[in-house]
Amino acid sequence: MTEDKAALASGSILVVGGGISGLTTALEAAEVGYEVFLVEKNPYLGGRVAQLNQYFPKLCPPTCGLEINFRRIKDNPLIKVFTLAEVEKVDGTPGSYNVAIKINPRYVNENCTCCGECEKVCRTEIDSEFNFGMNKVKGAYLPCEMAFPARYVIDPQIIGTDDAKQCMQACKYDAVDLDMAAKTINLNVGAIVWSTGWEPYDATKIENLCFGKYPNIVTNMMVERLASPNGPTKGKILRPSDDKEPESIAFVQCAGSRDENHLPYCSYICCMASLKQTTYIREQYPNAKIYIFYIDVRAPGQRYEKFYKKIKEDENVFMIKGKVAEVSEDPGTKNITVVAENAVTGEKVRQPVEMVVLATGMQPTTAGLKLPADLKYNADGFIINDFEKGGMFAAGCANKPADVVSSNQNATGMALKAIQTLVRR
Amino acid sequence: MTDRYLVEPDMDFVKEVVGLGGDTLKKCFQCATCSVVCPISPDTKPFPRKEMIAASWGLKDKLVGNGDIWLCHNCGDCSTMCPRGAKPGDVLGAIRSYAITEYAVPKALGKAVNDPKKLPVLLAVPAVLFALLALITVVFSGVMTSIFDVIGLEWSHGGHDVLAHANFISTWFVDLVFIPLTGWVVVIFALGLKRFIRDIHDNAVLEGKTDKKEIDIKEFLQAFVRVLPTIIKHEKFSECSENKDRTTAHLMVLYGFIGLFIVTNIFFFVLYIFHIPGPYSQLNPVKWLANVAGISLIIGSILMIKSRLAKKDQSSTYKDWFLIGLVLALGLTGMLTEMTRLAGTAFLTYLLYYIHLVCVFCLFAYLPFSKLAHLVYRTVAMTYAEYGKRT
Repeated sequence: MTEDKAALASGSILVVGGGISGLTTALEAAEVGYEVFLVEKNPYLGGRVAQLNQYFPKLCPPTCGLEINFRRIKDNPLIKVFTLAEVEKVDGTPGSYNVAIKINPRYVNENCTCCGECEKVCRTEIDSEFNFGMNKVKGAYLPCEMAFPARYVIDPQIIGTDDAKQCMQACKYDAVDLDMAAKTINLNVGAIVWSTGWEPYDATKIENLCFGKYPNIVTNMMVERLASPNGPTKGKILRPSDDKEPESIAFVQCAGSRDENHLPYCSYICCMASLKQTTYIREQYPNAKIYIFYIDVRAPGQRYEKFYKKIKEDENVFMIKGKVAEVSEDPGTKNITVVAENAVTGEKVRQPVEMVVLATGMQPTTAGLKLPADLKYNADGFIINDFEKGGMFAAGCANKPADVVSSNQNATGMALKAIQTLVRR
Repeated sequence: MTDRYLVEPDMDFVKEVVGLGGDTLKKCFQCATCSVVCPISPDTKPFPRKEMIAASWGLKDKLVGNGDIWLCHNCGDCSTMCPRGAKPGDVLGAIRSYAITEYAVPKALGKAVNDPKKLPVLLAVPAVLFALLALITVVFSGVMTSIFDVIGLEWSHGGHDVLAHANFISTWFVDLVFIPLTGWVVVIFALGLKRFIRDIHDNAVLEGKTDKKEIDIKEFLQAFVRVLPTIIKHEKFSECSENKDRTTAHLMVLYGFIGLFIVTNIFFFVLYIFHIPGPYSQLNPVKWLANVAGISLIIGSILMIKSRLAKKDQSSTYKDWFLIGLVLALGLTGMLTEMTRLAGTAFLTYLLYYIHLVCVFCLFAYLPFSKLAHLVYRTVAMTYAEYGKRT
């Protein structure tokens, strides 16, 4: 795919966000001969998919899909990747945008071999954002096992401390550069694709579900990290209060979704995520009982429907139609009792379980942070695509809640839209 | 559960419930959050989720004779937590309002009480009646005295040489209106309750909410005695979290009415048994009770109006304003009548007394048809729940 195909292009494409949608857009455009700048605010590419244990449709680990994409990026001279970078300003019209991009310092240059000596000497520990604060990382760290670019990061928190100096001295390759400073670069591009992705909805806002108050209530994204071999528990699903292997787990669907008081829309992925996580648990703990409380199970499409039916047949999986609206903790055992009305039988269910998973939904990154460009958003913060105006497009979950498959399809489409902007100029 | 169930929706019922303040009911998607967050909903067949779907499907028979709609105190916890803004609290309020008109005969009067356009007619009835009675008292007192002499009764109760309302509208007339009126209220409620109790029992048996086959009168009355303290202390009310502040206002109005009921009965006996005509001294302890009760009524109803105006998320319809307005008018005209009498302004005090009587008439005559009928239906439903061990 990397041979130089005749590029009819004039100008280049900026892709903002290096998650699965951004990667796809960048690669699809670059592999047909267009110059692409890929901007990612994290120190690594891969976005939310990198945090998953397995992902649909084939329940692959993220290494499977992401590594091939990283390989393609590496081999393609038309893609320039900027990590730790954010778009500061966008001026211009379709066909010609002037973009200012701020690149934050990594304090580690390309000499890094990931030997890990800096990490060993560093004493400061910070909460791991990648693992949702479930463990600590050193002030000098590799963002994740398969980080791309494969390079350490020195956290800004330790800059100026003795720790930072120790890291620098420990590096045999002169890779630690503590004088690195933020810089702004200017680019001229013909089209922009915003694949700014999503954030898990802040579960502490769902007050009646007591996330943050009771340790054994976790979110679905936390379960992905717990189940991941490179996660805080090395892939063993253990409940936070005492690292016990949970014998009973309740999934609370629509936690803060389809709810006017929180996210009014359906996030599309949470039902399948819980069904998928059911398989993680069943694999690790064959005797564990799993209770899934739902309003309605949304398993769109024939494949997902089949998956749902298979899970439903499991005699250790109990599907209860009724939203959990109340939880309580046994102060002694730290077990949680979830309360719902089973709308089929018309009886209230008080189910004690050892661990609760809140199936929280996705909120667009742009719900809180508005981009420095002339874009339209819907009431929930998703970017509305204005194809008539053109030039700038939203791909993947920046546009609507979606799974990986739909995001990739959408991202491919947006790559084409971006190309059309360039050639029709 | 039956495998097949043919839904026969009553669309008119749906429309009526929507009109009575249940306009949000179609937003419900049956997540059952409401049944869980409701602090007073039982574990077996909890409300209001099942009522929401029945209302949405127009299943009138499952709702009108459903005791559960009366166990709800409309605290609004369900509406606040509802993810869809379907406001189950308001929907149940609307269904209750519909149920009241279903059980009170004649139904036409029930419709009129809930129709703002009919308000002038409803007010005109007592207005004309008491105007007529005032006319007779003032102009034809001589004639009335001689008529009463013939029967052997005393028209003026020993005469009133001070400023007394009996000089404007005779106490005989007042009591001749209100005693039969009370009888009418009792009869209407008795007819309604006969059907109501049978319906809520049938519904409870059908939905498996009780293990009782028949209603045992003695046990039912015992349940009533057990449930009374709950009502008097408003225990169910204070279990609510969202609208807890309503408890005080509602208690003030209820206690105000109880106080005035006691006062009225005492003075009735004083007048007809001991032949001591009013007005009675302000130093009389019964009068203290009357004044405290009257003030309680006024403050309570003002608090209710304040909280309704402040609450944007709870719907207030004509049925709500009619009752609160009437209670406030009752309290205000009552207290002002007394004050103007003590001040010695005859015209003003007579006018206020006249308005006061019109208000009392409205309260009594329209009681079985207005929202105030909850006094009876909720009490009976709570008694039935206690009797049927529905907790």
